[in-house]
Amino acid sequence: MEQRKLTVGLLALVLFALPQAALAFGETSRLVFAQGRYEGDWNPRPLALRRLAFEVATRTSIATLPQEKVFPLDAEDLFYHPFLYLAGTEPLPPLSRAEVENLRRYLTYGGFLLCDDAGDGRFAESCERELQRILPGKAVGRIPSEHVLFKTFYLVDQPAGRTLQRPYLRGVVEGGRLVAVISANDLGGAWARDELGAWSYDVVPGGERQREIAFRLGVNLAMYALCTDYKDDQVHLPFIMKRRR
Amino acid sequence: MERFNDWKLVLLTPWPAWVVALLGAAALAGVVLAALGLRKERRRGRRALLVGLRAVGMLALLFLLLEPGVRLLQTATVKGRLAILVDGSASMGLPLGEGKGTRAAEAAAYLRAVEPALRALEDRYTLEFYRFGEGLEPLAGFAEVAPDDEATDLLGALDALPRGSGGRRLAGVLVVGDGADTAALRDGLTREAKERLSGLGVAVSTVAVGAGVARDLAIEDVRVEDFAFVRNTVEVEDAIAASGMGPLEVPVVLEQEGEVVAQKTVSLGAGDQRRKVKLAFVPDRIGDFVYTVSVPVYEGEATGDNNAESFVLKVIRDRVRVLHVVGRPSWDQRFLRTHLTSDPNVDLVSFYILRTHQDQPRAPETELSLIPFPVEEIFEKQLWSFDLVVFQNFNYRPYRMDRYLPNLRRYVEEGGAFVMIGGEQSFGEGGYDQSPIADILPVEAVGAAPNEAPFRPRLTEAGFRHPITQVAPDAESTRAQWEALPDLPGINVTRARPGAQVLVDHPHAVAGGENAPVVAVAEIGRGRTMAVTTDGTWYWAMPAAKGGETSRTYERFWAQAIRWLVRDPDLTQVRVQAVQRRVAPHAPLAAMVSARRADYAPAAGALVHAELFDAATGEKIDERRLQTDAEGVARVEFGPAAVGAYKVVARAEENGAELGRGQDVIAVRATTPERSEVRARPDLLREVAAATGGQAVASADRKLPALGLLEPEVVEVGRSEDRPIWDRFWPVLLLALALGGEWVLRRRWGYF
Repeated sequence: MEQRKLTVGLLALVLFALPQAALAFGETSRLVFAQGRYEGDWNPRPLALRRLAFEVATRTSIATLPQEKVFPLDAEDLFYHPFLYLAGTEPLPPLSRAEVENLRRYLTYGGFLLCDDAGDGRFAESCERELQRILPGKAVGRIPSEHVLFKTFYLVDQPAGRTLQRPYLRGVVEGGRLVAVISANDLGGAWARDELGAWSYDVVPGGERQREIAFRLGVNLAMYALCTDYKDDQVHLPFIMKRRR
Repeated sequence: MERFNDWKLVLLTPWPAWVVALLGAAALAGVVLAALGLRKERRRGRRALLVGLRAVGMLALLFLLLEPGVRLLQTATVKGRLAILVDGSASMGLPLGEGKGTRAAEAAAYLRAVEPALRALEDRYTLEFYRFGEGLEPLAGFAEVAPDDEATDLLGALDALPRGSGGRRLAGVLVVGDGADTAALRDGLTREAKERLSGLGVAVSTVAVGAGVARDLAIEDVRVEDFAFVRNTVEVEDAIAASGMGPLEVPVVLEQEGEVVAQKTVSLGAGDQRRKVKLAFVPDRIGDFVYTVSVPVYEGEATGDNNAESFVLKVIRDRVRVLHVVGRPSWDQRFLRTHLTSDPNVDLVSFYILRTHQDQPRAPETELSLIPFPVEEIFEKQLWSFDLVVFQNFNYRPYRMDRYLPNLRRYVEEGGAFVMIGGEQSFGEGGYDQSPIADILPVEAVGAAPNEAPFRPRLTEAGFRHPITQVAPDAESTRAQWEALPDLPGINVTRARPGAQVLVDHPHAVAGGENAPVVAVAEIGRGRTMAVTTDGTWYWAMPAAKGGETSRTYERFWAQAIRWLVRDPDLTQVRVQAVQRRVAPHAPLAAMVSARRADYAPAAGALVHAELFDAATGEKIDERRLQTDAEGVARVEFGPAAVGAYKVVARAEENGAELGRGQDVIAVRATTPERSEVRARPDLLREVAAATGGQAVASADRKLPALGLLEPEVVEVGRSEDRPIWDRFWPVLLLALALGGEWVLRRRWGYF
């Protein structure tokens, strides 16, 4: 009996130890979070994206790369990573002309930008200011609660992060697609977890339930970047309406 | 001694006009000064006498200075031209009534009757005869005109008349016809037509032939768009003209190549009338079809040729319906979705696997937006409603699709289109090499692991010509665009199946002795398939756009791929294009056949077997065998065919292998507008005459209208001679007496 248990255990170990099939050809075909670097406090939540990538891979069929990649905002290599995360606690310094031009092309040709304010809201405001320069003529507005972003995977009623400073998201639409989303609730603060498995920051005021909502929003953001308005297709509507009731 | 028959007064002075004017002014000033100097003279008799003498003196002086003379002339009167235009259009071949002769014969009889009156004009006018219809041609004289032109353009004919100059000018026009104009005057005398008529500068007199009532029912006009969408209502508007038919219930029928698709009954009252009828139908197939609108031919009609009218309608799909099944969200899927949803011609239905059994969403189903994948509904019931099915990195096995894949195979063999896009769940990696759709794919697995090394894809020779990969107008630009693309991240290593065409391959990875395909296509039964063995075509969209480039190659590649897969008629190998899709009666039926090889190179010297079929009965009418030229094109021509709908079907062969088939349709029109409009229009001829100052009569009157001809011009011929009249003694005497008398009287009356 003991020998049988040992055999089963060894078999399980062997199965887990077998190299898994490649999830995609090359890392850039997976979802890799790119993080923008600028002069200032560009990385207030260094452990956030790694945890989000893990959660996305665990909860959904999306293949992710656990480690984010960091790029200056005028880097051409950004174009291989259409999900760009920009975080800060202080106002974003005015972008250079090259950065503005690069980000304009990035967003116009399919990129997605998530701005996450880990401070008191001034970073979010400065992102709005810079987005007006990046996409002149495009208004930054409140994303309505019925937007597909809130139902791409989870049904999310209200956005949340480490804080609930602003119970809504703002964003910019270009060519019918949401190209930039601005959160003032420190999403990264809710996602960040250290190597020992401890959460880096407490989530207030909602505690762990609020942290879970922050993750669900993160998953929805990743899903939106990859599937856009898929969940607005006619075939999904009856199911979603029923669950929303 | 020359004989002069005319004269005129002239001034022989050599001085220029301005000097003459100056002299005239000086003379006038002399008289005015005299009058001003005498204004205090109370005796009017004296004043008048002195001023009169001054005036006579000045006139005499002017006479001497201007040197008047008489120019003796030799002149002649030149005949003007009277143009007689006789209608030679087909409507003149209609009878005047039952048992009577044709309008053309009536016109000839009229001209014979008025010949003496016309001849009487010949001492002052030259008679010029013309035949008009589609154009204007000179006629020999009073001969009867053959009525065979397929149009009547009276205004065009009048414009084309030589006006003449230098004494050979056009003095007037006489039009003999039925007034059934099919060109600028078809809708009456518009303002523009009036302006053109008044621009002629001569009177146009008219003689109406066939003014009596002709019994006839005609499809006068058919209006419909050039193309229609399948399964959408098409409306055909017909104009029916009735003349002398009396009250009648007329069934109007619309047929598609022998099959009735719509009909309606129209009530006609007494007298002439024109009614519009709308017929609606819903085409249920894609293709080019000939439709015919017809009404019955009633007894005693002037002609039965105008009781039907045919037209060709191209029925196209409203939108390409695409089923997009994706195994996991990825950037490759995202960019393809964006491309498909941004194309207004695509109706996209997507199913993305967002969660597998291994994934743990950590939420109850009620908090998720996920729906079950309706495999049976899609692959059992809805599959044939799609034009294209795309499997992108999709593993079929967890969804028990083994039993549905035979449906997918049958769907392709029966004309559907299928694309498999690479990834770790596609091709051999997805177990498709053992599946029922293994041999409809253009590539097969070779058991090798995916090659993840970045590589620059390479366009094959076939790829340069194939419409999918020909992303620029010519081979050189296409090569340049492909070379400018970024490297791809990796591929499923496969090899091409026999019969498949590789359009893009890997520069290094080899499978089965050949470079591994990246893009390959195949013809499977009546359907088409395509394999894209990478999950990185999105690199041609976004990474390609870095540094100022565009995503045009990506857009073009997928747009062309979809067009090719759903057999867009413009991308077929053998194309048949009718030179004219509606031909007039008695005209030949011609079409251009262009043949291309499987790699889309022109098939020069290919054998073309073209056949002409009756579209309604399917009966073969004729056939031709010919060869394509260096451009792969051949012109095929069949002799005139009877009224109806025809299909030109061409098959091209090269070295015994069939390149493909194509077809087009041609409608031989039952009639032309010239033959469908049988009513004579004396009213129009009257309006033309009134607008130009001419007169209108009916041919039955057998008399000439008042032609209002311009007078013949008189011109100088031969030499002239000037004889002075100023060099006589009396002007000098008159000058001396006038000025001397004025001087003497002024002295006597104490003015000095």
